[in-house]
Amino acid sequence: MAGVRLLNLTKHYKRGSEVIKALDGVTLDIDRGEFVAVIGRSGSGKTTMLDLLGLLLKPTAGNLVIDDVETTTLSDRERAHMRGRKVGFVFQEYNLLSGLNVYENVMLPQRYVKDGAEGKQRAVELIDRVGLSDRIKHKPSELSGGQMQRVAIARSMVNKPSLILLDEPTGAVDTETAQQLVDLLKRLNREDQVTIVLVTHDLDIASQASRHIRLKDGRVLSDERVAEAVPV
Amino acid sequence: MEIFRNIWRRKLRSTLTISGIVIGVFALTTFGAFAENFNALIDGGVQYFGGSVQVGPPDGQAANLLPMSKIDEIKSVEGVEAAFAGYQFQAKPGGAFVVSFGVPDTIVAADPGEDAYSALKLTYASGRAVSTTSRGDVALGYTIAKEFKKKVGDTIDLPVRPADAKPDFINHTFNVVGLISETKTAPDSFAYINLADGQMLLRDSLPAQLRDSIDVTQITEGISVYGKHGTSLSELDKIADRINSEVPGVKALRPSDLVNAFRAGGQIFTGAAVAAALLALVVGGLSIINTMFMAVSDRVREIGLKKAVGATTTNILREFLVEATFMGLLGGLIGYGLGVLLVVVRNVFFPAADGSSLFLITPMLTGIAIGFAAVLGALAGVFPALRAARLDPVIALRND
Repeated sequence: MAGVRLLNLTKHYKRGSEVIKALDGVTLDIDRGEFVAVIGRSGSGKTTMLDLLGLLLKPTAGNLVIDDVETTTLSDRERAHMRGRKVGFVFQEYNLLSGLNVYENVMLPQRYVKDGAEGKQRAVELIDRVGLSDRIKHKPSELSGGQMQRVAIARSMVNKPSLILLDEPTGAVDTETAQQLVDLLKRLNREDQVTIVLVTHDLDIASQASRHIRLKDGRVLSDERVAEAVPV
Repeated sequence: MEIFRNIWRRKLRSTLTISGIVIGVFALTTFGAFAENFNALIDGGVQYFGGSVQVGPPDGQAANLLPMSKIDEIKSVEGVEAAFAGYQFQAKPGGAFVVSFGVPDTIVAADPGEDAYSALKLTYASGRAVSTTSRGDVALGYTIAKEFKKKVGDTIDLPVRPADAKPDFINHTFNVVGLISETKTAPDSFAYINLADGQMLLRDSLPAQLRDSIDVTQITEGISVYGKHGTSLSELDKIADRINSEVPGVKALRPSDLVNAFRAGGQIFTGAAVAAALLALVVGGLSIINTMFMAVSDRVREIGLKKAVGATTTNILREFLVEATFMGLLGGLIGYGLGVLLVVVRNVFFPAADGSSLFLITPMLTGIAIGFAAVLGALAGVFPALRAARLDPVIALRND
């Protein structure tokens, strides 16, 4: 059963008299627990697709269903609530708040969802699962790039989302750290059955996903499921 | 906690911003306390003079004296319920002229029965009022008692002998029988004696050649006239008009004229407080707006991130509004605290020679000063907070 369904999803921008077709009628289903890599050149529509999936953008046309909820008709407030409950984000630049320590950064989404003691316990467990228990009180400035991205991954999961969206998560770390991060994502994907959609330029990273969607000019160029992802 | 952290993140900028509020609220507190003190004085005047008709000699008469017989004539005027003779004397004659925001120390000779009609009721912190019959008693107001360090059972020589008094200067020893509770208005600097003692002081004040030729029991300096309890100001004005038309040789002042004169004086001081408030508004408000706009610019990615993880527009709006309000409140508390400190230092360590206070901190002033700062912060934060709340998360997240 599909966790995420895109039906003729379209996002057009106007630049003067020119219409930019950032995403042009994409239709696909993403099953629950899938690990999907979205690849393509710059301007192919990867990031627009991620922003649409994350309910940060409203589509020009089409439908987007997440966990059986048609999202295109939701109000801004409902979209924000759904983002808080259903979606986790990981960005290339980590986007950790410099004034907060590891625990506080992981707890940030809980500020708007509020699961109480359960949320706090989950944050501590996630920090442990990403291997940063000994850094729980550290500020981002005291962490390496890989550690910061692990904090961001823990933060993305603290609200128990069904969908995690990652935008070039390994773009700012070295190859070895990137592989460690992908291994972590695979483990979390397997253990929590969370759907992962990862946008990347890095074909080595993409090859480790269970499904590869290649975009070009806002359209799906290819969509391949891999029986068992094999690290390159 | 995060509010502190966000404010502390830009220490210099936040300190300067909060300093602007501190200066404004400090000015508001001190000017306001000054105005409150003066207004309390004026309120007493409004209360007293708004509840009676003051009758004195007609225009052009040199001596401030009236025949006692005028009291009976006035009592026959329609609407008059009671009329009382009275005398006032300088408690400290011969002193150098000084600019003062209070009422000078004064000996007031009045009929104790007048208190039943006066709108300004006196209560006693200790002791009692002077009686009609017993001679040589005095009840002291709050500041005059403090100035001369007197308590019930002490004696006081009145009028106070000036340092350069002539040999024929006359004063008398009075027994302090009562200390009046603080009124924050004129009676605080009054020494109340009965009419007989007032007539004695009046006689003393006359030139030696006239003392034996004038029967002081037959003259009064002024007459306080009262209507029935609850008589309105406009009714008292009408009584004054009737006295002027029906009783020759006197002039009754319309109480509304006196009340308006008092209020006009009070408006000057209230205006000063409002000016201080406007200063706070301009200086503090603009600096908070500037700081909060800069905070929004600095934290665009943070705002985008918060929206991405579930913050609604209202959440972001609230966060920035609370931060701006907190800055205003913090500046307000510090500014108010410094203002109170100045008032306390002035009143405790540098008191006025006559024991009067120059500043009055009231609960209303406290509420206005601190509340004003918080509201100012909130208002100044509205536009920056709206800007933050309306940021497009996609653009904000990728902001450099």
